Amino acid sequence: MPPRRPRSLLQPQLQLRNELTYGAPILSPARTPILAAVQIRNFSIIAHIDHGKSTLADRLLQATHAVSERQARAQFLDSMDLERERGITIKASAVTVHHTFKGEDFELNFIDTPGHVDFAYEVSRALSACEGAILVVDSTQGVQAQTVANAYLAVGGGLELIPVINKIDLPAADPDAVAMEIEQVLGLAAEDCLLVSAKSGQGINELLDLICQKLPAPRPSVTDKLRALVFDAKYDDYRGVVVYLRIFDGKLRTGDRIRMMGTGRTLSVTEINRYTPFTERVKELNTAQVGSICASIRTLADVRVGDTVTLDSDPADEALPGYEEPMQMVFCDFYPATGGESEGTGKRADFEGLREAVEKLHINDASFTFEVQHSEALGFGFRCGFLGLLHMDIVQERLEREGGVEVVQTAPTVSYFIDLTDGTSIEIHNPADLPDPARIKAIREPIVKLEIICPTENIGDLIRLCDARRGTFKTQRFVSETRQILDYELPLAEIIYDFYDKLKSITRGYGTMDYDIICYREDRLVKVNILVNNEPVEALSLICHRDSAEQRSRNILTKLRKQIDRHQFEIALQASIGGRIIARESIKAMRKNVTAKCYGGDVSRKRKLLEKQKAGKKRMKQIGQVSISQEAFMAVLDQGD
Amino acid sequence: MASLPILSSAARPGAAAGAARPTVERILQGARPSFRAAYAHVPFCSHKCHYCDFYSFVDSEDRQERFVIRMESECRAAAALYQAPLQSVFVGGGTPTMLRPNLLARTLSALRESAGWGAGVSAGPGEQNASGTSSQPREFTVEANPDTVTEEVARVLAESGVNRVSMGCQSFHPHLLKALERTHNPESVPLAVERLRNQGINNINLDLIFAIPGSSLADWEADLQAALKLEPSHLSCYGLVYEPNTPLFLRRQTGAVLPIEEDLEASMYELARSTLASAGYGHYEISNWSRGEQRCQHNLVYWDNGDWFAHGPSASGHASGIRWKNVPRLTDWLESDPWSLVQDVESLASDARTGEAFMLGLRLIGGMELSRVAELLAQPGGARREAAIAEALSSGLLERSESRLRIAPHALLVSDSVLCTLL
Ligand SMILES: Nc1nc2c(ncn2[C@@H]2O[C@H](COP(=O)(O)OP(=O)(O)OP(=O)(O)O)[C@@H](O)[C@H]2O)c(=O)[nH]1
Ligand code: SF4
Ligand SMILES: [Mg+2]
Repeated sequence: MPPRRPRSLLQPQLQLRNELTYGAPILSPARTPILAAVQIRNFSIIAHIDHGKSTLADRLLQATHAVSERQARAQFLDSMDLERERGITIKASAVTVHHTFKGEDFELNFIDTPGHVDFAYEVSRALSACEGAILVVDSTQGVQAQTVANAYLAVGGGLELIPVINKIDLPAADPDAVAMEIEQVLGLAAEDCLLVSAKSGQGINELLDLICQKLPAPRPSVTDKLRALVFDAKYDDYRGVVVYLRIFDGKLRTGDRIRMMGTGRTLSVTEINRYTPFTERVKELNTAQVGSICASIRTLADVRVGDTVTLDSDPADEALPGYEEPMQMVFCDFYPATGGESEGTGKRADFEGLREAVEKLHINDASFTFEVQHSEALGFGFRCGFLGLLHMDIVQERLEREGGVEVVQTAPTVSYFIDLTDGTSIEIHNPADLPDPARIKAIREPIVKLEIICPTENIGDLIRLCDARRGTFKTQRFVSETRQILDYELPLAEIIYDFYDKLKSITRGYGTMDYDIICYREDRLVKVNILVNNEPVEALSLICHRDSAEQRSRNILTKLRKQIDRHQFEIALQASIGGRIIARESIKAMRKNVTAKCYGGDVSRKRKLLEKQKAGKKRMKQIGQVSISQEAFMAVLDQGD
Repeated sequence: MASLPILSSAARPGAAAGAARPTVERILQGARPSFRAAYAHVPFCSHKCHYCDFYSFVDSEDRQERFVIRMESECRAAAALYQAPLQSVFVGGGTPTMLRPNLLARTLSALRESAGWGAGVSAGPGEQNASGTSSQPREFTVEANPDTVTEEVARVLAESGVNRVSMGCQSFHPHLLKALERTHNPESVPLAVERLRNQGINNINLDLIFAIPGSSLADWEADLQAALKLEPSHLSCYGLVYEPNTPLFLRRQTGAVLPIEEDLEASMYELARSTLASAGYGHYEISNWSRGEQRCQHNLVYWDNGDWFAHGPSASGHASGIRWKNVPRLTDWLESDPWSLVQDVESLASDARTGEAFMLGLRLIGGMELSRVAELLAQPGGARREAAIAEALSSGLLERSESRLRIAPHALLVSDSVLCTLL
């Protein structure tokens, strides 16, 4: 696989951050108003996780009579099972509603976005289809890491922001302080913040008016040829791939033959829909409108989000500026669970079942990658790449739920660039793929820019945490009197290794963080091999910093010692770098495996116990003479210490 | 293993009597058992020990008399199934000696008659059976809690023809008895032994438990010595088993009880082997030792995969490949008269029977006759088992002599590693 560039920050954002550091006001007023087309407003709802975007979207649907009392249910737009269960938004969704302002009818197209850092790419896609964004801030939580990150994304994309302070119905709400934070950190005037309760509906009508009044109208067409931006796509079991479009120039009709300017594919539009939020078939989409099309596309791999759609018969000369696909930063393996775990769940536990599930899910979520992997310890499986840890979690859960397979997952790792002595370099996602150490000139790892927002009293502990994780201090500044922003550069590998949990426990849940890959950097990284009775076990090898190699090895060996059953002989466990042993443990020979009592009433039960022992042995993986259960591998590969 | 589908689906603990559960009579229809022994279960105890997973309880209603009447009718019914007088009757529990002396006597006499031993008093070894021909020595065992062996109980046992008593000592250390939540007084053991001997019952087994949480090697050595001092004819020494659904098991789960180290437990076992060997006891089964030939005939029927009948709630029986368990609920058992309702039944396929024969036969220290092994290997699955035997022989876990195959003495404590490959 050719090396890819890390997901880059948009240039203006970098600038904004710098300005912000110096405390300068950063948000410019609305851009020059443009000749209004129809009265249309396109906007996204953005916020830190759980600050109430989806609930606010519910209120907008109700206040515009798009959804009646009877049809309403909480987080209406979160339709995935997993979204409803976890109470989070994973996929952005676009809806069209109407609002009358000063006697005029406004068509409002809005997109509810996810708040979690892993789904930042969903947010940037949504923003590319909009002129404005509602920035929701929870009045009991204040400005948090994704508040800042998403605000930067919006401003970087040239969008107008309406800051909204939500949950003012709560007793703990402190809207004035939060307004000051918004002014302090984002440079948006405190007095411009609108106070709402997405729960009670307070302030919602004012918000609707403000959207019509303050958000810019879409720019008019600059060409009469069709140009529509593909800002999202999803797979629907009945209709195949559904492509979400924002028309920037021209118009699109059912039956049109269209061309994807990036891939060159041509297709016929079989249907056009808008969501009100109920699917409504329409004949055409006009300039500035948002909707979706179906064109008999079978897999998401055939659609590139960010591509420009034009008419095949009368194509535009130039595509719209697209954006980069997100990059997979975190990798892990999925294997079918064997035996034990899948017993009685009615789920499949074979490789073919897993393959079907992975392929099917990929049609739905093209943002994870997969390739077949074989491990001597765990058999056949897939090495997959994800946008972040939550994304990884969600993929695993969807595989089990929607794919009906039982999977086991290895600990996540990052990707590395290996510079070879012959001057070339390769990217690897798996320590097992490391070339012979003699050929390695340097190992480079992904570095992130980390931004933490936390209570002031935790700053010291967090600095110690970041320093211990090979972090480089950048800046520190105030959000308010009681909270601060801490900026660090840190290897991603240190973040996926138990960092977030530590942050949460140090700050007792009050700290939040956001990160973005900025570069790959060389460090003293080594490959640690794990040997069981002198046999190297590739599945357990790891790449880590030289200084933490002993500690990490000891942790793994200790876990392994607890997990491997005693055998008839003593087992040596070792960790090595190259040929040098850096840690060792041993498992004493088994002394006892006996049925003490076996009388008349015990026979059936004891036989079943022995049968279980025999079946367990069969499922084990053989490393030389040593049998290791899959559960043991998993326990060792599992995160954390 | 193929269990009878309709029958095993009836295996619902606590389900109402009747319903879909078959009776012993029904499941034995068509089977041609040759019963060699009978086990009778008396479910009463004065207190529930924390490691115990037997069906036993403290009866608040006093159903002893009903129990005995029901037992008498079951004994009469079972007698019809026996082709010849039984070799052994074993009364276990629970605590059989909890029955009031007159009721204990009635139970024992019903069992004797049913076994074909006649109504007379003596059933001593080597005695003539009912038809007057000389037969295997008969063994009539009753389990006893040392606290319950009063002079009267000892006399009733002797007068009822009981010739073997198995006593649960477990340990002579009060703190270890406490760890098991066992309530008897260790000083009652020598007293009970003396009372039994005074009545002419000399075949006495003592049960001991090692690897009790908190115990040391020295504790165990003292327990062995205390037991030897009483010169029992038989000793059973068990490593403590944490049986599911017992308070002890739960307390281990919650960390309230810490099992002793595996290596220490192994040393305790080895200590028992050497100590008992030098005291003149023959080790004949993984957990059993006897002086001279006084092995437990009853248990040998189990290890020989023989047939035996089961009396009483929760008792298990075996009839040529059919294994069953009576309902483990006194009420249900009392109501199903004279044939007990059955809770679990398995009709073993030939492969499973072969597996069981190895699992049981190799528990004996002397192992199995090679001719018997050859017979079993001629059954389906022979090639697989032969390969497993070859492997265990080469790794030294099994040993073969001219005529026998056995677990190597040093491998007894890891015997399950071999036995599971032979199933
Ligand atoms: N009391 C009160 N609770 C609110 C209000 N708005 C949202 N909530 C609650 O806050 C929680 C999070 O709301 P969501 O709307 O799911 O938040 P979100 O921003 O969409 O979350 P993600 O999609 O996961 O980023 C839910 O329990 C809501 O019921 C409000 O105005 N008042
Ligand atoms: S005396 Fe025996 S049967 Fe009764 S509870 Fe104790 S161990 Fe169990
Ligand atoms: Mg949401």
